[in-house]
Amino acid sequence: MAKDASSGTTSLVSRPVVVEGEISGEENLHVDGRVKGIIRLAGDLFVGTSGVVEAEIDARSIVIQGAVTGKVLARRQLEVQPSGRFNGEATAASYEIRQGAVFEGISRMLGSAAQNAKPSAPAGPVLEK
Amino acid sequence: MGFFAKDKPETAASDAVRSDSDTAFFGAKLSIKGKVTGSGNLIVMGKLEGEVDLAGELVVAAPAVLNGEIRAVTLAVSGNVTGTLTAGEKIHLEKSAVVVGRMNTPRLSVVEGATFNGEIAMKKPADSADPSKRTDKK
Repeated sequence: MAKDASSGTTSLVSRPVVVEGEISGEENLHVDGRVKGIIRLAGDLFVGTSGVVEAEIDARSIVIQGAVTGKVLARRQLEVQPSGRFNGEATAASYEIRQGAVFEGISRMLGSAAQNAKPSAPAGPVLEK
Repeated sequence: MGFFAKDKPETAASDAVRSDSDTAFFGAKLSIKGKVTGSGNLIVMGKLEGEVDLAGELVVAAPAVLNGEIRAVTLAVSGNVTGTLTAGEKIHLEKSAVVVGRMNTPRLSVVEGATFNGEIAMKKPADSADPSKRTDKK
């Protein structure tokens, strides 16, 4: 999957909608409803305050205002906003955990070994900034 | 820095069909396998394989390819659907629609140019109001 393939289109799982299964594609996705299963996106995932996601996720950047549970890969950044709750196993190139956010589980840095030119933070749990 | 629009999703490629934020939207480059349920309106432009059960209006817009069992209160199709379509109120096939399968609906409209291969069953609206026959209601 190409890293910058996002066309700028954002799909929306609105508040009264539930998707169970696999969502994939070269778009951004905004979830205000519920998604259970697998999410694979070339673009970004945004989980709104009413959004509940239980899934294995692979996306460019992930912004969480609602609740996310699962194994998550953010190729660029994982951001948990003050209203956001994350529970699971995360791998990301960078993290932003806001004050008030809940982050429970494991975090790993993506490409912390060799491929990054700039020095990156050590692997391990990331706390509030 | 805003790598992401915080308020509302982009409307590129979908200005014509977007309305309010209660309308779910699956873009042309999105593919879904599984089950979509709920209420409100849904516009699909991408691929969907599986089951849709919606207490609202489903719009299958032009580049969309759906395969499976589709239930909604009203269904408007201008894309490609293979499977069973069941509407509580009505089904409308636009000119560019290509439907293969079965349609169950009390009311049907088809624009000249639409392609349909399969069976149609039309219940009277009174029948579809019978709770034992309603599938789109929770």
